[in-house]
Order: sequence, then C-alpha cells, then structure tokens
Amino acid sequence: MRQKLVRFGIAVASAMAISLVTIHAAPQYDAAPAPAPQAAGAQQQNIPTPRTADGHPDLSGMWGGGGGGGGDKPDEKGNLTVVFKQRPCSQQQRDIGECAQAVNFERDSGVEQRAGANMPMYKAEYWERVQYLDRNGIQEDPAFHCKPAGVPRMGPPAKLVQTATELIMLYQQNNLFRIVPIDGRPHDPIKSQDTTWYGDAVGKWEGDTLVIDIVGFNDESWLGWPGWLHSNNMHVVEKYTRTGNTLTWQATVDDPDVLTQPFVMNPRTIRLNPNAKATFQEDLPCEERDAVHIVTHERG
Amino acid sequence: MKKMFGLLAIVALCLAAKPVVAHHALQAEFDTAKRGEFTGTLTKFALINPHCRWFFEVKKADGTVAKWEITGAGPGALRANGMTRLFASGQTLKVTYAPARDGSNTGRVVTFTFPDGRTVTMYHEDPNNPNDL
Repeated sequence: MRQKLVRFGIAVASAMAISLVTIHAAPQYDAAPAPAPQAAGAQQQNIPTPRTADGHPDLSGMWGGGGGGGGDKPDEKGNLTVVFKQRPCSQQQRDIGECAQAVNFERDSGVEQRAGANMPMYKAEYWERVQYLDRNGIQEDPAFHCKPAGVPRMGPPAKLVQTATELIMLYQQNNLFRIVPIDGRPHDPIKSQDTTWYGDAVGKWEGDTLVIDIVGFNDESWLGWPGWLHSNNMHVVEKYTRTGNTLTWQATVDDPDVLTQPFVMNPRTIRLNPNAKATFQEDLPCEERDAVHIVTHERG
Repeated sequence: MKKMFGLLAIVALCLAAKPVVAHHALQAEFDTAKRGEFTGTLTKFALINPHCRWFFEVKKADGTVAKWEITGAGPGALRANGMTRLFASGQTLKVTYAPARDGSNTGRVVTFTFPDGRTVTMYHEDPNNPNDL
C-alpha cells in the first residue's frame, strides 16, 4: 500500500511536471525554505540562546528577512528596466521545439510545489479529489482567492513576542496574529470544536522546544499548493526551537480521515532579523482579479 | 531630477518583488510573445495584493473611450521604498503590454513611457539574455 501511494505521488508529480518548465518565485507559504548559508548559519547557531527569567528559551524577536537589497537601477537618463532574469529554455531547446509548451503552460513554481519528495499520503478514495484540486487550483485554491493560508500552510511567523504564559505570533501577511497560551492548559472543549483557519492552539515546553497542539480546524484551507486537502478533524503539532539566533519551525499534520499516516513537514530554520529597527508594514488588501482571465488550468 | 532618479530606483525594487499568495504563471493569462500598445489616461493606480494594477481610459479612433486594466508585480518593494506616488491619476502614459489571451482589455505591462520620454520597463524576460525571446 505504501509503495502504491509513493508511486501515486511520483506519478502525480511527474505528470504535472511535464507541462512545467520554469521556476520563478515560489509562494512564501508553500516554498521549501532556502537553507541558510552553512557558515553564516552555524555562526548564528553558536550564539548562546537567550532565555527568559523562567529559564525557557526566549523566542521573542523578528524572524526571517534581513536579506534582499540590490535590484535593477535606472540608467543615467532616468529610464528604468526591470526584468526577471530566469528562463528555462535555451535557444536550442526552442529551435527543436522542446520549449513550445512554455508559451502555453506555466513556467513558474509548479515544479517546486509538486515535485517535493515529502508529501502527504492520501487514502485512495481522495486521490482523485486531490488531483482535481491541483488541476483546478486557479478556481479551487483558497489562497489564490485571497483567503487565509491557514495553519500549517502559512509557515512560521515573522515576529514572536513571548511572555510567561503566552506566545504572540505576528505575521506580515494579511496583518495576521495568533495568540497561543503556553502555560500547559488543555484545549478548551468549546473552542476546540470550532472550525477555523488557525485552529485552537495550546502550547507547552518539552525541554527547550515549545510544542503547540492545534485542533478545531475547518476543512477549507489546504496543506499545500498541489491540492493538498485536509478534513476538519485535522490535528497539527507545531514545534518551535530556538538555537542561538536561529529558529526552527516544524509542523506535523495528523488527519486519519484523509491521510494514511501523519504528514511530517520539512522543518524550516529562519534567522533572527539582524536589523534591530526592523518594523512591520501594514499589508494591503488582497484582490484577486486574474482568475477570470486565465485560460489554462495551469497557474504556476 | 535627482529625486526622480531615486524614485525610479525604488520602483525597480517594487517591481522586482514577487506576489506571494495568488502567484501564477503569466503565460496562463497573457500571450507573452505578443505586444500591444496604447496611450491613455491613468484613471487609477491600485496598490493591492497580489499585483499592482493600473486602470486607463483610452480614446479610440471613433471617439469612444475604452477602459483598460494593466497588471504588474506585487506592491511590496514599491511601498517599502516610498515610491507609491510615482503613478498618479490623470497622467498620460504610453503603455506597451503583453495582451490577455481571452481578448479582454487587460494586459501585463512591459513598458510605461512618461510624457517626458522616460520609460519604465518591467518585464519577466531579459532582452539581453540570448536564451530569452
């Protein structure tokens, strides 16, 4: 069975990948994290982990960001040219016709999104549905239509504020926040029956790792870009571990209604923003205006 | 002029920024091998996610006015660099675009040309790259 599922996953990835030729920017929610440069990363991890008065690691801070810079500049006359310098096909490929699909199909992040080795293993009765959702992501993906990505697709927060009893999680995207009690309390029996995008979360320390247990989800959000659905009985465990000035976020999705086994997501390690004066910017409303004009199933 | 120069540098950053959520392939919506062109009056510059939008009124030969909607990249860097006021309603701009495949009056901007001749080109392919179209 496991083998069959793996074969299915590979088949889906391969089939989908055929029409995809380019990789541009991957949406932040779903992209595999870019690994921090080894040397610099090690340096950040060797810094002593700050601790709060009660002895736990202090997760507070702005996380991620701090990179970037550069970009295209205008010429001496003030004319500006901005281009994305990524292109999948050589002239030779085009000459022999191998790049023809690039005009009609996505040349975007689809390969990255679909071809990851680590994917949720669905029960056979959901295979068709997942494929349908993937194929029709332009219409079906809630995030494409400006709805929340939800937990865990939204990934780690951009800022954490830790008190003795709460972890306040702030996201740049959609001006979003989550406030999670970390005093070891159990789920609230009423809230945990709610059906929401971020769920009912409670946290506790296991050694130096903050473990957040989340239930009470809706069944509208996706786990990832390729039509990865879940049920409203999904149970997610998020783990936050600070090592020096790095923060590792990892989520595991348990959803026996639709999955044959827990989906252990790849951990992401992000660095403390080195800019002490870094601030958040109000995120502007999202308005989806493209779907009606897109003439293929493919979206990138 | 110096100020404008700086502004354009910042626009460059904005336009290079990538939309995060509703990201999709240009080719699924626009025919990137083709170009259209019009000169019109900018009626609204919308600083929204996931893509900036420019709305135009374009006077046609028969005297009627056509409405056009042009899309670009996400607003992030444009805002971060204080450049959200470069485009203003009432400006007359020449627009070169990749036309929508569905034939609607929409397009993906390639170049805006301002009345003083300055151009702002924003596109996803590198004209100096021999591997590009």
